[in-house]
Amino acid sequence: MEARTADTTELVDSTKKSNYHRNKVIKSIIFKVIMSLLILIVVFPFLWLLLSSFKYEKDIITYPPHIFSGKYTFQNYIKVWDTIPLLGYVKNTVIFAGATMLISLVLDSMTGYALARMEFKGKTAFYYFVMVSMMIPFMVYMIPLFIEMNKMNLLDTYTGLIVPRATTAFGIFMMRSNFVGLPRDLDEAARLDGLNEWRIFTKIMLPLSKPTLMALAVFTLTNNWNDLLYPLILTTTSSMRTLPAGLALFTGQHISFYGPVMAGAVISMLPLFVIYIFAQKYFVQGSAMSGMKE
Amino acid sequence: MEEIDTSVGKKRSFFRFWNQPKHAAYLFMAPSIIILLFFMVIPLIGTLGLSFFNINIFFTGTKFVGLDNFIQFFHDQRAINSMWHTVYFTLLETPTQVIVGTVAAAALSRTTLFNRFSRSVFYVPVICSLTTSGIIFSMLLDPNIGWIPYVLHQFGMNTPQFFRDATLAMPSIAVMTVWKNFGVTMTIMLTAIQAISPSLYESAEMDGANKKQQFFHVTIPQIIPSLGFCVMTNLIGSMQVFDQIYVTTAGGPEFKTESAVQYIYSRGFSAPYQLGYASAVATILFVIIAILSVSSNLYMSHKEKQMR
Repeated sequence: MEARTADTTELVDSTKKSNYHRNKVIKSIIFKVIMSLLILIVVFPFLWLLLSSFKYEKDIITYPPHIFSGKYTFQNYIKVWDTIPLLGYVKNTVIFAGATMLISLVLDSMTGYALARMEFKGKTAFYYFVMVSMMIPFMVYMIPLFIEMNKMNLLDTYTGLIVPRATTAFGIFMMRSNFVGLPRDLDEAARLDGLNEWRIFTKIMLPLSKPTLMALAVFTLTNNWNDLLYPLILTTTSSMRTLPAGLALFTGQHISFYGPVMAGAVISMLPLFVIYIFAQKYFVQGSAMSGMKE
Repeated sequence: MEEIDTSVGKKRSFFRFWNQPKHAAYLFMAPSIIILLFFMVIPLIGTLGLSFFNINIFFTGTKFVGLDNFIQFFHDQRAINSMWHTVYFTLLETPTQVIVGTVAAAALSRTTLFNRFSRSVFYVPVICSLTTSGIIFSMLLDPNIGWIPYVLHQFGMNTPQFFRDATLAMPSIAVMTVWKNFGVTMTIMLTAIQAISPSLYESAEMDGANKKQQFFHVTIPQIIPSLGFCVMTNLIGSMQVFDQIYVTTAGGPEFKTESAVQYIYSRGFSAPYQLGYASAVATILFVIIAILSVSSNLYMSHKEKQMR
């Protein structure tokens, strides 16, 4: 009697288990199908852009559209330099986004360091000032900034583009969180060894902050590289435009030649994409940090 | 000799003074604070100041007009419409992005090869500028040559006009924005989900909770703070929508997609170049955003307290 019940429960158990197992496999297949569909939705526009940028104009504007075309050409990549002053855009973007990134790394980590590891009068006030600054949208003060830059003759200059962006409240916040996390006795020991404050910062603290510095670097680089409104306001001549501002003005509502514009779009996102492939974890870290709360 | 000595001594005491952390801190912060003051705080005050003036981009005929610009706003149908379009975009974009991002994060929270690959792919649009996204989508959605109208046509639908259709343009822009940005929400939510202690799931499982119940009763309560953060930053970001509209529809058709920032931009930086009036609209938008962020902040901290 007892043996039989044991048998049946075992049987029930094993069918339950195989059912459970089968359900799990089915679920995992459904999950992978849905995710693959989502991956396709995300990837298709980029692949299509890349492929089409190598097509002849007449193959781009066919209906029904084709993914592949019989013939491919570099023509768009050659023509784009004539139809759009792309070389200038690339140069301006590299100078603006690159210099902004480098300077803001230095300034943000200096301020973040002071707020994290030094005791001084008004520290809380400065800290709240930075926190509130993070919440102020650019569009709110863009008009007076434009007037200010105009009065200082800094419109259409690299200085005018770089200096207002040479520090960001978010960068300060990010570096502060980083320095708060470093062990307390590090700087005290260094101070006893007779190192001055600047050397403690550059020789001991900064080398320990490389991961955060990398994350902040790609974060500010991406933001400034891709920004549209800011360079649109602080530059007025075509020769000072950055890639997004220049491309936006050239496409506008009606695109007359698709091929060169597509080639320009590919060129504009290629540098960041290459950096992303090699430094993916720092990009993700930057985004994750932005979601951190005290 | 003596002179040199005192100067060295002065130099040394000067150096000693600034080398104390309580003084050095100001030197460390000075560049950032000066930049923030000059290029953010002063312009910010300037916006409020300018909104009381009639002032154009050439600084001719500048005149104090008191509250006239604000009064004009309430009689300016195009300005009020631009505010509504902005709110409409925000209501379309924010919930969609937060839901898509959170679900993607929850689905991909386990670290497998497939999941890691999916996450990397979903982040790619984040590094692509809104300008480039706009260029891609205005071609993909083009009724004459685009893929998406073509595919929908194959399913027997009338070819939608998307960006050129007054009712479809804004939803199209919102969907494009979700496509571009949900990777950010996913990343933030992923960090939050992965920080949940596995013991919570174990005890829920022992209580007989299935996966769905676990998601709603363990995952969601634990990620509420991050979820709140995402909702808030998305709300504030969406209220400033500009890039994607500027590139795809430029506010058309018939100003039906013109956003508040775009209206400010076109009022101030193209004819009639009314910087004063544009500043007044900017001030109004800022007040709306400030109310939104302060109230959602308060609500979230209230919710968090309730949860505990």
